[in-house]
Amino acid sequence: MTIFDGLATPIVMGILLGGLYAVVALGLSLVFGVVREINIAHGDLVILGSYFGYTAMTVFGIDPILSLLIGMPVLFGIGFAIQKYLLNRAFRISMDAVLIIAFGLSIILENIFLKVWSPMSRGLTTPYALKSLSLGSVRFPLVYLLDFLAAIVVMVLLREFLRRTYLGMAIRAAAQDRKAAHLMGINTDRVYAFTFAISMAIAAIGGVFLGLTFPFTPVSGMPFLIIALGVVVLGGLGSIAGTFVGGIVFGLAQTVGGHFFGLAAQMLVAYTMVLVVLALIPRGIFGR
Amino acid sequence: MLEEILLKVSRIDAFHGTFQALWDVTLTINPGEIVAIVGANGAGKSTLLDTISGLVHPSRGSIEFEEKDISALEPYKIVDLGISQTPEGRRVFPDMTVLENLIVGSYNRRARSLRERNLQRVYQLFPLLKERKAQLAKTLSGGQQQMLAIGRSLMSNPKLMVLDEMSLGLAPLIVDELYKVLREIRQKGITILFVEQNVRRSLLEASKAYIMESGRVVLSGNASALREEERIKKAYFGA
Amino acid sequence: MKATIPRLRAGLIPSIAVIVVLALLPIIGVPRVWFLYTFLFFTYLAMANMWNLLAGYSGLVSLCPAAFVGLGGYTLAVVTWVGLPYYVGIIFGSIVAALFAMLISIPVFRLKGIYFAIGTLVVPEILRFVFLLWKPVGGAIHGRGAGYTVKGVAEISQSQIYWFALAIGIASIFLMRYILRSKLGRGLAAIRDSEGTAASCGVNVFKLKLYSFVIAAFVTGMAGTISYIYQGYIEPASAFSVRWLITIMLATVIGGEGTEEGPIIGTIIVVFMYFILARYAEISLIIQGVILVGIMLLAPQGIMGIIRKTRPYGFLLQWASRC
Repeated sequence: MTIFDGLATPIVMGILLGGLYAVVALGLSLVFGVVREINIAHGDLVILGSYFGYTAMTVFGIDPILSLLIGMPVLFGIGFAIQKYLLNRAFRISMDAVLIIAFGLSIILENIFLKVWSPMSRGLTTPYALKSLSLGSVRFPLVYLLDFLAAIVVMVLLREFLRRTYLGMAIRAAAQDRKAAHLMGINTDRVYAFTFAISMAIAAIGGVFLGLTFPFTPVSGMPFLIIALGVVVLGGLGSIAGTFVGGIVFGLAQTVGGHFFGLAAQMLVAYTMVLVVLALIPRGIFGR
Repeated sequence: MLEEILLKVSRIDAFHGTFQALWDVTLTINPGEIVAIVGANGAGKSTLLDTISGLVHPSRGSIEFEEKDISALEPYKIVDLGISQTPEGRRVFPDMTVLENLIVGSYNRRARSLRERNLQRVYQLFPLLKERKAQLAKTLSGGQQQMLAIGRSLMSNPKLMVLDEMSLGLAPLIVDELYKVLREIRQKGITILFVEQNVRRSLLEASKAYIMESGRVVLSGNASALREEERIKKAYFGA
Repeated sequence: MKATIPRLRAGLIPSIAVIVVLALLPIIGVPRVWFLYTFLFFTYLAMANMWNLLAGYSGLVSLCPAAFVGLGGYTLAVVTWVGLPYYVGIIFGSIVAALFAMLISIPVFRLKGIYFAIGTLVVPEILRFVFLLWKPVGGAIHGRGAGYTVKGVAEISQSQIYWFALAIGIASIFLMRYILRSKLGRGLAAIRDSEGTAASCGVNVFKLKLYSFVIAAFVTGMAGTISYIYQGYIEPASAFSVRWLITIMLATVIGGEGTEEGPIIGTIIVVFMYFILARYAEISLIIQGVILVGIMLLAPQGIMGIIRKTRPYGFLLQWASRC
């Protein structure tokens, strides 16, 4: 009876937080599902989105969520260029080359962040970022709810895009059978570039909501990459629904773990879960 | 009398890594023909088709389609020009519905505007696909998947349709159906090139044939003429 | 087998000469900067050789060398706090790193390709957290987190530290030579070519990879302890930092992954860069990242790859094989 006391709040918070993790992981899942590359710079690219929102807020006084109107296209373009000029070429060299180049990219990004924004911890502290909501005995920050709503919106939009547009179908086709996709007249290089670009646009969203939810530093990319990897592996690479479920599982692991083991151990619980997931389910629940 | 040539493959060599799969292969296809490439496993037939489709680039020689050199083109450009391959093993997109598979088939620029017309054409040739249009492709049987694969190729509005081992693993009755459809497709003005291991059947259906062995063309000509020679080849290929 | 021994001996004489010269450097008295350079060179060389063993020869792109370095360093610190002499720390540090490698090999080797990389990426991060929260001995003297000074190293002379580094660096070169010519080496070559084929030829893929991994962990751990004897202080963020990885990855890639000479050339360059860029702290890493990406795109075989294609190299090989 007693250990379950006060569990309601961590559970609700975990589920809502899961929305954030789902958005952060979604781009990674998409890229792995389609292009079959694990972009280990993904975490840093999400943080790029966070810093973009931060700049919009502190330099231009624009609300970070609103700044996504510019942030998303910018990151879309960057992502397109990265895949087209770096990673497509890396693929022709070897799978290791892709990994190493992504790693190089990660190092470059982290140190650019360090140089421009210093190691100081930052946050997107808008007025609503500090508000809390109450639901009965449960109290949680408003942003957690926003995270969850954002996740739903992003996932629905992505799903519709993949289903109804030619590009979306081309992306799904290239993910399922690359050779057959070629024979359909699909330019897979271009499709991959668009896929990466879309994942970056989603990362931009993830970055802003991450910044609203947690403080971040130039090296925050790594912890979120690891969680995203866990989410993606658990939920199945390339599965939208799976990523959502995976996100919730990790959100819960963190909040409930924090409830039992203390705040300091939160990340450790999440990391351990990642290893467990990797060891037990290399293919994920929903995925191939 | 100048004979129009649709596809001209001239003396190509092609490699799979360091392994040479094609040696000095030459092949000509005229519009409106049904051409067969026959040979045992490993004869290089699939590599030849992949080279025509641009998935493999020849290291020597050239490939011309409608008098345009396509040997260095990317596969998607070759589909744009009007060559569509139905690959070995069908390779339908498993997690997409029948209708979605067909729609993806019309991905290339030329075919998009003609999508509805081609869709009706495919439904008319394969009523079964219309019935099952909302069904996931991976739940179809082998024969149904082959129909879908052929329908998908048709959606790209091809001038030349290339089929790789269409009858592999299918019951004779279904194979008969498929050849019947091929004949109808040919009547609509689409040229057909197909690859088979079954020599006898191929020579019955084709107007012209090429026999391949170990990456080379060893015999070619009019199908009915080759059928006579077949008695000699029977020992070679068995049934 | 007999034919190779005389040949090894022939190549051995110039090598020994070089080693003797290097060993005498501290006694001769060279500028402090040279000292630091060669110290760093030999410790990083050992680590780079090991990374090359894994990524270049065993098909294991391991992203966790920091784990071995950090564990080696922490073991060293703990050993000195418990009152044992530092050289025990060196031995124990290497053993702990090797044992850890054995431990994680079980789950991590089940992961193929990309998943292996992910798994190894997570490991140093986890260790960093663990050592942030866990204080193995005493209390922290200074710094945040579980930072420890390495006790009893003040008495060690610069020359001694230098000789340790020299030893591990040279040893790693000979180790690589030996491994690559041994049965293990041939098995690894087969795995590198095609894992499936190697397995069906009776090569115990798991066992060979495990050997490589554990050997690499041991040597990397040892180089780590030697590093920390020099530094005298260890804390989680830098011990398990990704900087170890980028440095040795860059060194191996610049020089040429999968070649024996690659790590040597690469480490010379990387340590040189370290000195040139020392003034521009954060930019230095940006530059290293850019170089890494550039090399992988433009010259993925590294410098050795370029050299091997040139004709003079061919002649050099012919001449050398006749000696």
